[in-house]
Order: sequence, then C-alpha cells, then structure tokens
Amino acid sequence: MLTSEVRSNVLVIHVGEKRVDASKAPSFKDEMTKCIESGQNQIVLDLSAVEFVDSSGLGAIVSCLKRLGPRGNLAIAGAKGAVSRLFTLTRMDKVFALHDTVEAAVERLSA
Amino acid sequence: MASSISLMIDSDLDKVAHIASAVRGVCASLLSTDDADAIELSVVEAINNVIKHGYHGQPGKDVQVLVSLQPDRVVIEVLDRASPMQSDLLDQATEDRFAFDETNLDEVPEGGMGLALIRMNMDEVEYSSAGGENRLRMVKKVGPRAS
Repeated sequence: MLTSEVRSNVLVIHVGEKRVDASKAPSFKDEMTKCIESGQNQIVLDLSAVEFVDSSGLGAIVSCLKRLGPRGNLAIAGAKGAVSRLFTLTRMDKVFALHDTVEAAVERLSA
Repeated sequence: MASSISLMIDSDLDKVAHIASAVRGVCASLLSTDDADAIELSVVEAINNVIKHGYHGQPGKDVQVLVSLQPDRVVIEVLDRASPMQSDLLDQATEDRFAFDETNLDEVPEGGMGLALIRMNMDEVEYSSAGGENRLRMVKKVGPRAS
C-alpha cells in the first residue's frame, strides 16, 4: 500500500489506500518499518489519497514515529476531511507536523 | 417518522469498511459532513472493539448494527454475543485519553483510543448486556436539516 521516493534527502512515503483502518494497520506498520530501516530518518507521510483513518491506523502511525527515534522526523502531508479531524480531536496535530502538501513538508524537513 | 435498517457482518476486520459505507450511505444525505464523519468513526471503532476484544479476533461470529433515523437524532446500536466488556471501561474513557504531554513521546497513545473517540463523537453512549447479548447504543443529535 506504500510507494516512496527520496526528494532533497527526505523520504516521501505515499499511502495508496483510501482507508488505513484496523484491517490495514498491521501491514501498514510492517511496510513503514521496512522504509524506516532503510536508513532514512527524515520522512514525509503523504495521506492525500486517504479518506479514513481509525484509531488503529493512527496508532500505527504513532508507533512508526516512536520507532524513528529522537533524530528522526515524521511529518504528515495532505491530511484532509475526516483524517485531519481525527488528528485534531486526538491532539495528534501537536505531535506531528501537518502540512497541506508534500512540497511544503519536504521543504520544512530539508531546511 | 423513524426509519431503521439492520445490518449484519461476520467478525472480520476486512468487512468493517462495508458497514461503514452502508451506514454512511443511509445517513449521509441527512447529515453534515462532520456529523457523518463522527458517526462513521464511532461505528468503526465500536465494531473493531467487538471483533478484537469481544471475539478475540475469531472470525465467523455475528456483529449486528442497527441504524435508526429519527427527526432529531441518529441512533446506532452495535450488538454482539461475546463476553461482556467491563462496565467501568466506558466510564473511564474520556478525552483525558488525549491530554498527554506532546513533548513526551512515551505518553502518546498507540492504542486504547476507541471508546474515548466514541464518547467524544457521539452525544449519548450506553452499554448494556442481557440474555447473552451486549449492546452499545450511540446517539448523535442532529440539527434541523436543510430541505
């Protein structure tokens, strides 16, 4: 469900699923872990194609952040609608930097 | 005038999206996007809990969802026949779940958010068990609808 590329030394991970929910969370975590273990620690997670995230999906994103460690950054790009609402409701918008676009997120992380 | 629908799925996490779609389909034209999002999230979290915690991930069990559309509210009930949830879990689930220190990653939750989210998204939430059946009843009050 994930595709990725490196831009300006930042790993951009695009989530291709419309729903990151309890059925998808375990494989999402596995795929994210592989990306993180590849050595990149400045990461933008592109959620612009995602319409729905539940607490399992959110928890998987949080656990990736924790796995990244103190020298890493995991920024979120393109969260909208119900997805952005979930981040706000849970105060996860204070834990993750949320950007409207991948470009804005990459610019911030590569600065 | 109330109208209701009843949906039944197998206890399979892959099927939860179908129920979400169906519930959203029934309600969407009557609700604001925010209210529809709130209901969809609550229904998904409730069913996830039944499948993961009630039935311990066992497939082949029934989860029933009843949706009742009333002039001023939407009532959703999620029914299962698993062992009952501990009654104080619902009382303890509040928005305090998210009152963590965001500068301390250890405090940021990775799980156990479902009940708090249901209580934050719905106006009334009640849990009861009788005759081997558990019922989570969730009510969303809706404002006057644009005609």
